[in-house]
Amino acid sequence: MNSTPCITLTEVSKTFKLGLFKSKKAVDNLTLEIPSGEVVGLLGPNGSGKSTTIKMILGFLKPTSGEILICGHDVENRWARSFIGYLPENPRFQKFLTGNDILRYYGKLLGLHGLKLSKKIEFLMDLVNLKHACNERVQGYSKGMTQRLAIAQTLLNDPQLLIFDEPMSGLDPLGRIEMRNLISTIHVESPKSTLFFSSHVLEDVETLCKSVALLQKGKLKTFASIDSLIANEQQRYEVVIQNLSKELESLIFEKCPQKTVAIGKSFSVEGTEKLSWVLSKLLETQTKVISINGQRKKLEEALFRANEGLSMSEVII
Amino acid sequence: MKQIFQISWIAIRELIYEKVFYLLFSFVGLALILGMLLGQLTFGEQAKLTLDFMLGCAHISMILFSIFMGISLFQRELLMGSVSMLLSKPISRTSFLLGKYLGQIIVQFGVIIAMTVVIALTCLKFDGIQYTAIFQALLLIFFETCVITAITYFFAVNSGSITASIASFVFFIVGHYKAPSSGHLSGDSKLVKEILSAIIPNLEIFNLKTFASYGITISPQELGLSFAYALLCMAIFLISASLTFNRKDILT
Repeated sequence: MNSTPCITLTEVSKTFKLGLFKSKKAVDNLTLEIPSGEVVGLLGPNGSGKSTTIKMILGFLKPTSGEILICGHDVENRWARSFIGYLPENPRFQKFLTGNDILRYYGKLLGLHGLKLSKKIEFLMDLVNLKHACNERVQGYSKGMTQRLAIAQTLLNDPQLLIFDEPMSGLDPLGRIEMRNLISTIHVESPKSTLFFSSHVLEDVETLCKSVALLQKGKLKTFASIDSLIANEQQRYEVVIQNLSKELESLIFEKCPQKTVAIGKSFSVEGTEKLSWVLSKLLETQTKVISINGQRKKLEEALFRANEGLSMSEVII
Repeated sequence: MKQIFQISWIAIRELIYEKVFYLLFSFVGLALILGMLLGQLTFGEQAKLTLDFMLGCAHISMILFSIFMGISLFQRELLMGSVSMLLSKPISRTSFLLGKYLGQIIVQFGVIIAMTVVIALTCLKFDGIQYTAIFQALLLIFFETCVITAITYFFAVNSGSITASIASFVFFIVGHYKAPSSGHLSGDSKLVKEILSAIIPNLEIFNLKTFASYGITISPQELGLSFAYALLCMAIFLISASLTFNRKDILT
């Protein structure tokens, strides 16, 4: 694997002028290194600086201070962008062009031509499942189709870095599943490429990403692998039981939150030590244990705990 | 360079898909109606008046086209956001700007050729028409539209669509305004006039409409000078637009 980080941000700040005397710091002294070949999620509430960061990485916004490198090249150099495939939040195309025309246009801008370009277009249209609509004008495309076409254009130059800004935004549940599967397929097809994407949906980030960066008020609050974030959390178990004695019920429910389910009572136990204690008590009284399920720990809880001082609404996006 | 041609090709297709043919149809309709009406209203000066009106129509239509289409072509991509996918590729902002400009200029050249054909055909019924003068006048109208398009791009980069349209119109009107000689003006007015003359191109250089209706031609040297002046103005405004666009934050 390439040791050069795919994205390097060093002490990057961006201040927007809001009139003659007012200004707003959108990104504040952000230092971040995104390793090559990883899928990294960029999280943060609205106004946390996610989009500003992405736009600075793409060179659309000039940082007020700091340095940004793409695969070791300064972002100010336009050739640094030849490593990038970018999917904006709301992709829009010239409505009079067909899907094929769009890919041909972008392909030619990237220096591709002839048979190589035609084959690439065919392959990508197949990959994003748009082969049936490749000769239709994009004005007739649905939101999901436009999004998939936009993904196809990001892959034209086999980029080392894919930047997706809110790729699931505005899609219906089925569209989101399709998009998630497509992103997984892309990562499987080109495992060396880095995928850096922002999302408001933690579930998507949790499913697709290896690491996550959390921004808050323009500052980096956390950058860690999802596994390590969740590993710090206590494992939680859901225990379902029947015929629990009154004494034991009050003893257990003092320490563990409970709820009534159709087949009996269910309570949540945090950590293996507590689970052992509960099980020993249940065995002592010969209580019938229906099931014990390990619950998947939620990324939002992990992020919340990793950022003591933030309110839950600031973490849950 | 290839990237500029690619962008200009899409700009040409966009203009053709949009309103360029409406402009041509309205010009042809207007020219035919005016030709017929003036034939009824005038005696003796019919050819001169018809030609003067037709050249005036061509001039105004081309100026409106260059300002509105220029702003629309450039700002639509910024507002729509498609520019973000384009500029995320290794394409310089200057190439984007020049590609759009070149595409529009090519379409404008096509439109002026079509207008020339319509005017020439309408003039066939008159005797003693000096066609070289008509062609020269239309060529200079084309040069002027190239300059106005460059001015429009400069303002479109720096401001919103309404401000850009107004500013471009102001440049067009002031560029044709013949101010009294500086000798009649007081110190401050003289200074303002000199500053305006330095900033705003003198578009009267490109006005040969009256010459054409009287059948007067200009020398190739004068034509060459007008072309050089147009090139200089285009270069100044496009370079300024490009420098500003390169520093501009793209928020879409």
